[in-house]
Amino acid sequence: MTDAVLATRGLVAGYEPDLPIVRGVDLAVARGDFLVLLGPNGAGKSTLVKAITGLVSIHAGSVTLDGAEISTSPIHEKVRHGLAFVPQTENVFTTLSIEDNLRLAAQVLPRPGRAGRIAALYAMFPDLAARPRTRAGALSGGQRQMLAVARALVVEPRVLILDEPSAGLSPKVVTEVFARLAAINATGVTTILVEQNVRAALATAASRSGRAAILVEGRIAHEGPAATLADDPIVAELYLGARREPEPAA
Amino acid sequence: MSPQILVDGLIAGSMIGLGAIGVTLTYSILRFANFAHGDYLAWGAYFALALSGALGSLAGGALAAPIGPFSFGWSLPLAALAATALTAGLALLVDALLFGPLRRRGSSVIILVMASFGAALTLRSLLEFTFTSKPFYYTGELQIAVRFAGMRATPDQLLSLAVALVLVILVHLLLTRTAIGREMRAVAENPGLAGVAGVDVRRVVRTVWALGAVLACMAGVMAGLLIQIRPQMGLDLLLPLFAAAILGGIGSVPGAMLAGLIVGVGEAATVAVVGAQWRAAVAFVILVAILLLRPQGLFGRSDG
Repeated sequence: MTDAVLATRGLVAGYEPDLPIVRGVDLAVARGDFLVLLGPNGAGKSTLVKAITGLVSIHAGSVTLDGAEISTSPIHEKVRHGLAFVPQTENVFTTLSIEDNLRLAAQVLPRPGRAGRIAALYAMFPDLAARPRTRAGALSGGQRQMLAVARALVVEPRVLILDEPSAGLSPKVVTEVFARLAAINATGVTTILVEQNVRAALATAASRSGRAAILVEGRIAHEGPAATLADDPIVAELYLGARREPEPAA
Repeated sequence: MSPQILVDGLIAGSMIGLGAIGVTLTYSILRFANFAHGDYLAWGAYFALALSGALGSLAGGALAAPIGPFSFGWSLPLAALAATALTAGLALLVDALLFGPLRRRGSSVIILVMASFGAALTLRSLLEFTFTSKPFYYTGELQIAVRFAGMRATPDQLLSLAVALVLVILVHLLLTRTAIGREMRAVAENPGLAGVAGVDVRRVVRTVWALGAVLACMAGVMAGLLIQIRPQMGLDLLLPLFAAAILGGIGSVPGAMLAGLIVGVGEAATVAVVGAQWRAAVAFVILVAILLLRPQGLFGRSDG
């Protein structure tokens, strides 16, 4: 894919040098795309996005952002290049206030633009704007997730990667979070979403004409439009918990 | 308690507090107890000694002439300023040669702690090799203690106390009001997330080493001014430094200072009431008591 904003080629990564979890992933995400990464537990979804962002060692292969090789760049440099990541857990600084969480992330921006960017995010997340001095540790799970997303958006990323943002949230909050992600993607931010909440994630990606990729044992096993994968009976059976109707007896 | 015990304790405690701030900052961000911290304090004192000697001999000795009521001339504060830079450089050099490579290799905490023991022994031996174990003094001037409210303290002691308090306020403001302070708090809480948030964690680590070393140097200069300068001076202060850092709550700058003062007053009271031979036991008793009763310290947060 020539207009890929983020691409991996032959990516091998893991926590131990001789024990790769991601085993040769080729992935290309087009600008503005909404990609959902699915797969069973232990398939390597989280490891893949952590390797892309620099939190897990890359053993082989490459990661490019807008054509520039970033696999050896320090994590903070990747952020400066427009790659934002929201981890699944511990994704806000609980000892810092909401304001300080955002101001910390804004330090990447030129000084004159920081206050304006934070104000724009407060407009996008009015719940956070209502109490900027509150410590992030005092927020509910949903509010923390919103703060984590807002923190990632401070740098006006080209690519936003989220690792299971629905984990531990109530269905109502999950709906709200996914609606917010769709809205963020609609502004042109390329979005990569790792999710166990498969139906909601595919529905969100489908609403943005996005794609889905299924990782199995560290490799991409299926890839295609989210709407198509949601209706695929094999995918539904393997990953969505659906059961095929038994063959009628002859 | 005699007010004099309080004054003596606060003066000794201010030195302990300054050193403990460095210990608590490096512990909270680098996540290991650096047993070489006391030796940064000793090296700071010796850097200032060498530089003040050199400056004092310049300008026909004008810089060595005592300033007002104090026992030292301008050569000492100027030397202390330069010594802070040299001590910071020393801490960064030790990190670059020893701790940094170990961190990159993913070494466990116990390896880092053992490495810090090795660094402490090396630094202390180098001081002894260079300066011998003979004690030195910044000045030979005698000072008359000032009397106030039934207490006595020399101008040098009062100045040291004031400098320590000013430094604590400055460090507290640095941590709570500046961008680098916010980054330091973020790295202390979650270094991985700090990187993801765009923080250059390695730069923050270097800043913490430098800041801790600057404070250690100032504590060393104060100890050298008020007591004497010996290669073992950092080792002697190590237990009180750790007791204060843990009593104050790891990561808490005001906590470390307050705890330093508590340890200092405890030592002074013990010397007055029980005997000087029990001074060293005070920090140990405080350390054990706080670990048993309130391991998170006075200002630390419980993990539970």
